[in-house]
Amino acid sequence: MFNQNGLSLDQAPPISVVLRFFFSGALFGILAGIFILFFGTAIFDAQSMQAVILTHTLTLGVMLSFMFAALFQMLPVIAGVRLAAPQQKANLLQYPFTAGIFALLAAFQTSLPWLYALASLLLGSSIFYIVAVMLKNLFELTYHSASSKGMVMALLSLAILVILALYLTAALSGTIAGSYFVQMKEGHYSFGLFGWISLLIISISFQVIEMFYVTPPYPKAVSYYLPMGILGLLIITFITGLFFPAAWVIADIVLALVLSAYALLTLLRLTQKKRPLSDATVWFWRTGLASLLLSMAALVFSRFVDIESIKALSYLFFAFFALSIVFAMFYKIIPFLTWFHLNSQGYFTAPMMHEVIHPKTANKHLYIHLTTLVTFTVSLFIAPFIYFAGLLTILSFAWMAYQIIHAWKLYRHTQETGEKFEMNMPQA
Amino acid sequence: MIISQFMTQEHRDCDTEFAQAEQLAAEGKWEEAEKAFLHFADDTLRHFKREEDELFPAFEAQTGSAEGPTQVMRYEHEQVRGLIGKLAEALESEDRDAYLSLCESMMILLQQHNMKEEQMLYAMCDRVLPPEIKTETLGKMKEVVL
Repeated sequence: MFNQNGLSLDQAPPISVVLRFFFSGALFGILAGIFILFFGTAIFDAQSMQAVILTHTLTLGVMLSFMFAALFQMLPVIAGVRLAAPQQKANLLQYPFTAGIFALLAAFQTSLPWLYALASLLLGSSIFYIVAVMLKNLFELTYHSASSKGMVMALLSLAILVILALYLTAALSGTIAGSYFVQMKEGHYSFGLFGWISLLIISISFQVIEMFYVTPPYPKAVSYYLPMGILGLLIITFITGLFFPAAWVIADIVLALVLSAYALLTLLRLTQKKRPLSDATVWFWRTGLASLLLSMAALVFSRFVDIESIKALSYLFFAFFALSIVFAMFYKIIPFLTWFHLNSQGYFTAPMMHEVIHPKTANKHLYIHLTTLVTFTVSLFIAPFIYFAGLLTILSFAWMAYQIIHAWKLYRHTQETGEKFEMNMPQA
Repeated sequence: MIISQFMTQEHRDCDTEFAQAEQLAAEGKWEEAEKAFLHFADDTLRHFKREEDELFPAFEAQTGSAEGPTQVMRYEHEQVRGLIGKLAEALESEDRDAYLSLCESMMILLQQHNMKEEQMLYAMCDRVLPPEIKTETLGKMKEVVL
C-alpha cells in the first residue's frame, strides 16, 4: 500500500529514460526548424499540408516526446505511481513511436495509403500501450492528489485524440468514406490542444509551481475540478458537435476564458513566491502563460472575424505557450536529476545543479526563445523573416540538445571517476 | 487534523526562513544570511527530531511497521542534513554561486519531501492515531529541543 502511495525510495526512473525523451524531442525540434526553412510562410495556412506536417512534427515529435519524459519522471514523484521496468517500457514506446512519426510525416507528403496504415499501426500501438500502462497504475492509486487526477484526465484526452486520429488516417488513406471527417478533425485537435497538452501542463503545474518556487497552493476548487471540467466540456461538445457544429464556437469561448483565468491565476501565484529571485525558468513560465493569454484572445477574436493572420497568431502563441513551459521544466529537471541520482548513489563529487546547467546558460536560451517568438510574429507581416525564425528554431533546440549531451557526459564522468561511499539504504 | 496543521505550518515557516537566507546571500549580505540560515537550519533539524523521536515511532507502533513510509522519510532527512552541511560550508567561504546552486537542490528536495509528508504521511497519522495518542504525541513534539 505504502509503495503505491509514492513513499518508496527506488521510485525514480533511471536518468537515461528521462534524458532520451528530452533528446529525441530536441532532435525533432531541429527537424521542425528545417521544415520551416523549406516551407516558408505556407505554414501559417492551417489548411496547407505544410502546416499539417509542421504541426505534427511539433506536437508528436517535440511535445509528446517531452511529455513522455515528464510523465516518466513526474508520475512517481508527484502522483506516487511507480512504473515497473521503466527502461523496458521506454524502449517499447520510443522505437515504434519515433518510426511512426516519420511514417506519418511521409504519409502526409506522399498520400500513400500504406504509409498511413503503417503510421497508424506504429503510433496507435505505442501510444495506446503507454497510456494503458500509465492509466492502469493511476487507477490503482488509493490516494489521489489534484495532480494525479489531472494526469488521468490528460491521458484520457490523449487516448481520445489518438482514436480520432485513427479515423482521420483511415479516411485519408481511403480505407473508410470518412463522412464525419470535419467533425473528427475538430475533435482531434481540440482534444489535443485543450485536452492533452493544456491539461497535462495544468495538472503538473498544480504541484511544480508550489514546489519549485514556493508559492501558496492553488485553491482546491480549481485544482480538483478544473481538469475534470475541461475534459467534460470537450466530450459534451464533441458529441453535440457531430450534429450541431456551432457547439464548438461556444466551447472555444468557454475554454478560452477558463484557460485565461488559469494563466492569470498562475501569473499571480508567481508574484506570491517566497523565493524572491527570478531565474530563467520563472521567465519561461511567464512567457508561456502570457503566450497562452494572447493565444486565447486571438482564438476568441478569430471566431468573430475571419482574418487568417489572427488564426495563425492563435496557433503560434499556443505553440510558444507549450514550448515555454517545457523549457521551464527542462532547466529544473535536468540539473536536479543529474545531481539527485549521483548524490543518491553516494558520489561525493556529484556536480551541483549549477555545474550541470549554469543559470546563465538558461538565460541565454531564454533570450533565443524570446527572439524566436518575436521573429515568428514579425514574419506573419514581413514574410522573409520566417527564415530567421526557422534558423532560430534550430538554434533553440540545438541549444537544448547540447545541454542534454553535456548533462549525460557529466553524469557518466562522475560515475566513472567519482569517489563514492557505500550507503546502507536502497538507492534511488 | 491537528498533526497536519501543526507540522505543515512548521514546513511553511522553514520555507520562509530559507527564502530569506537565499535572498540575503544573493545580495552578498553574508552576515545576515548566516543568521537567517542558522534559524532555518535549527528549525528544520528540530522539526526532523520531532518527527523521528515522537511522530514516527507513534505511527510505527500504531501500524506495526517500521519499514514503510517512515523509513523513507528518515532517509530523506539524511539527504537534507547532508545538504545543510554543504550550504553551511558555502556560507562560510562566501561562495555565492555554490550557495545559490545548493539552494536549488535543497528547495526541490525539501518541497518534494514536504509534499509527501503533508499529502500522505501526516494525513495518515491523523487518520490512524487514536485521538488521545494524537494529542499526547503533539504535546511531546512541542517539547522537543535540539
